[in-house]
Amino acid sequence: MVILEADKIVKIYGETSGESVTKALSGISLSVKQGEFVAIMGPSGSGKTTLLNILSGIDKPTSGVMTIAGHAINKMKRDELALFRRKQIGFVFQEFNLLDSLTVKENIILPMVLEKKSAAEMEEKVQTLAGLFEIEPILQKYPYNISGGQQQRTAVSRALVNNPGIIFADEPTGNLDSKSSTAIMECFEKIVQELKTTVLLVTHDVFAASYCQKVIFIKDGHIHSYIVKKGSRKEFLNQIIDNLAVLGGRTYDI
Amino acid sequence: MTFKQIVWKMAKVQYKKYLIYFLCNSFAVMFFFMFSTVYFNERIIEAKKLDGIQDALAVPAVALVVFTVFFISYAHNVFMKRRKSEFGLFMTLGMSHRDISKLLLLENGVIGLCSIVTGIIGGAIFSRLFFLLLMKSVGLEEIPFHFNGSMFLYSIATFALVFLAAVGKSLFFTLKKDVIQSLRSNRTAETIKLKSPLFGGFGLVMMFGSILMLYFSFSKSNGGELLLWTIGVLIGLYISLNQSVSFLIELAKKNKPFYYRRLLLLTSLDYKFKQLTSILMLVTVMIMVTIIYTTLLLTIYQSSEKDAIEGNPYDIAIVQAKTKNNLSSEEISSIINKQDNPIKQHLKMPIFYSIQTLPGVEGYFTNVVISVDDFNKLTSQQKQLQEREYINYINEAPEYVGNSNDDHQELAFNIGSKERTYQQKGMIAVKSINNLSYLHEFIIVNQAEFELLKKNADGFAAEIQLFNVANWKNTADVVEILDKKVKHYSKTAPQIADRAGIPSQQEFFQMASKIDSYQYHKNSSGILFCVISFLSVIFFFGTFILLYLNLFSELDLEQAKYQKLYKIGITAREVKRFISNELATLFFIPLVLGTTLAYLYVAILATDVGGIMKNPEILLHFVIIASGYLCIQAGYFFYARRKMCTNII
Ligand SMILES: Nc1ncnc2c1ncn2[C@@H]1O[C@H](COP(=O)(O)OP(=O)(O)OP(=O)(O)O)[C@@H](O)[C@H]1O
Ligand SMILES: [Mg+2]
Repeated sequence: MVILEADKIVKIYGETSGESVTKALSGISLSVKQGEFVAIMGPSGSGKTTLLNILSGIDKPTSGVMTIAGHAINKMKRDELALFRRKQIGFVFQEFNLLDSLTVKENIILPMVLEKKSAAEMEEKVQTLAGLFEIEPILQKYPYNISGGQQQRTAVSRALVNNPGIIFADEPTGNLDSKSSTAIMECFEKIVQELKTTVLLVTHDVFAASYCQKVIFIKDGHIHSYIVKKGSRKEFLNQIIDNLAVLGGRTYDI
Repeated sequence: MTFKQIVWKMAKVQYKKYLIYFLCNSFAVMFFFMFSTVYFNERIIEAKKLDGIQDALAVPAVALVVFTVFFISYAHNVFMKRRKSEFGLFMTLGMSHRDISKLLLLENGVIGLCSIVTGIIGGAIFSRLFFLLLMKSVGLEEIPFHFNGSMFLYSIATFALVFLAAVGKSLFFTLKKDVIQSLRSNRTAETIKLKSPLFGGFGLVMMFGSILMLYFSFSKSNGGELLLWTIGVLIGLYISLNQSVSFLIELAKKNKPFYYRRLLLLTSLDYKFKQLTSILMLVTVMIMVTIIYTTLLLTIYQSSEKDAIEGNPYDIAIVQAKTKNNLSSEEISSIINKQDNPIKQHLKMPIFYSIQTLPGVEGYFTNVVISVDDFNKLTSQQKQLQEREYINYINEAPEYVGNSNDDHQELAFNIGSKERTYQQKGMIAVKSINNLSYLHEFIIVNQAEFELLKKNADGFAAEIQLFNVANWKNTADVVEILDKKVKHYSKTAPQIADRAGIPSQQEFFQMASKIDSYQYHKNSSGILFCVISFLSVIFFFGTFILLYLNLFSELDLEQAKYQKLYKIGITAREVKRFISNELATLFFIPLVLGTTLAYLYVAILATDVGGIMKNPEILLHFVIIASGYLCIQAGYFFYARRKMCTNII
């Protein structure tokens, strides 16, 4: 079953202001099936963040159609989108995006608070997720008192709290060292395997990308190519590196 | 591009920041100047009928200075907060501490000077208007408006002092501290570290406890206790503003569903209240003080007519010595009697002022003796007295006189070398003579005894002349003429007695009229009321600017926060509601607190005159002024909310 479908997405920046016009996406089409674990890679400035923001409804495309779980989100209004986002979508950001004034636990339940879920439900959900991602000891701490990896695991928990159908992640390991990165990618693996949630992530990190089942390469706003994992992660890693060499642009940290 | 050009370019781009800072300072100078045109007006200082005004104006003057200190230093802090990030950038680009200091001094110097110039000019223009309005509203149009050196000197000096102190402090910290480091510090984190729910609970207890203590101990306590509990209230208030949200959060956490539903609002308020404690405190206290002050003054002002009538049963009263060279009764009558305002009633009341030494005691003992016949004429009573009997008469409404049960006392007068004793036959308290100094308590005896005492006892005879005319409000002219004459004659009157404790003739031979008392009250409380109203407007305006500037100085943080929330999926409607709740709390909590405190103080002060419920006019004035404040504050709130919403959504 297809959960995400995008058709000929175009995004042009600076059309209204009329200063310098940038065509960030020039007609991207893709579809993601339920339970898939997909990475998007590409050189800096190729339009990855733009694509992810549009697919998740944070940003609006200039033209194109996207549907998530059968809802045409390009037709939705701003507030409708916001509601849809917090019910159906989870988002993990490179800079964590946690609120400083809330504790880890409060940050996690924030989407449920907005949804006006019952307190018992929130408590239960927090306990499950904290157990899954091993952040129970820090639930009462504030974001500035915990490590980057812990912050990102908090953010992942928050993304999952409303049982979304799909999770988007924009360079979730971009601010983390390799050990924390591994922990985060293992979290995503758990999400896909245990919770059967779809994950679409953007990354520069080939090591992170190798956890996925499929990697889509984009360049200058086009889909350049994609590869699917067949064998072990090690083999997939090498395949990704080869493909990136073909893509050119810049060297990737391996 | 040189450094100077970069700095200049950035300044040009962000001219708004400078403009706001400049306007704040300019306003401060302007208000100072406007106030000083009243404070230092020569006629107001001199005017005899405005006795005590200067002292009464001292309280608002101090309040204005305190407020200005707050205002200027806050405006400066907001300016510096925005400026610091740029200084950080300049320093990473290689600018030295010295260069930064020079830049800081240059900017502030230019802005300070411009503020003084524009503030004085603006003040000079508006003060004339303000002055005319003020004087017109209290009916003192004849007082001329003028400028003098002190007005300029004091307003410029006060401003300059406060401004320099603020700049000096910034300079010190720029030189001392690493600007870049202070840039990186996380304000939210620092604020959370200050959390202390227990202390918040303590603050609330302290505030409400002090209010209760104040209320219950007022009637029997002295001024010292009042001050003590007031300080208690203020300290409690400060702690509460700072910590009570933390305390409430701790309480709310006990009820999870309640807490979670208000999670964002409560945590955000906790942060805001800690950041804005001083300003909120300032707003609360200013509201409290101005409401108390204006309510009381308005009440006094409104009651000046009532007071004048109550204090002076007759339109004009004159005390004269019974000697030949004096203002004759006919002359007085002819002055008072005007065709359009004729004399309706004229009463002469002979009095005898007895002075006697007490055996064995140092000092003197004075009594004012009148005859029972005169008293009966005065009060239309039918009192009868026998030989050697007297009645103690107090010229005061009975409710102000305590019940003295020292009936049947004896009073002795020295007649020659013998003593003549009188038995008391009761006490009468009634207000039937104007408020005249030394003539408050009388001894009533019968006519024969009165003549006897006058002839034989030590002392002197005088006469109170009491007049009623058709309309006392038209007696200002004749009272002025009479006043001069009475003063002239009292100077030449025979010396009463050259002894300590005995009034001089100028003090004793006096006059008291409704119109004088009325004008005195009306002028002094009227001017004060207007000055306080004017200051209240300034305070209100100023505190709003402060609150507004401080709220919006962290706009970038707010935007970032809502951007984060938007990505999680908060709707614009929710954001609006959230901002609305938050701002409502910030704007109305000080108002509610200030008004409540003001009400309590007014109620406490009103216990002196029989309690607030017995004085509906005080309550009414309070309600009028408080609702005026509510309207203004509501206006500010809606404005700030609209501004905030358009900036964030
Ligand atoms: N808000 C914006 N306004 C104008 N142009 C933008 C905006 N956001 C991105 N762009 C431009 O669109 C293009 C794609 O940007 P995008 O952020 O999607 O790239 P990216 O692949 O995420 O890059 P990186 O790997 O560095 O994060 C870039 O050329 C960028 O300059
Ligand atoms: Mg990006």
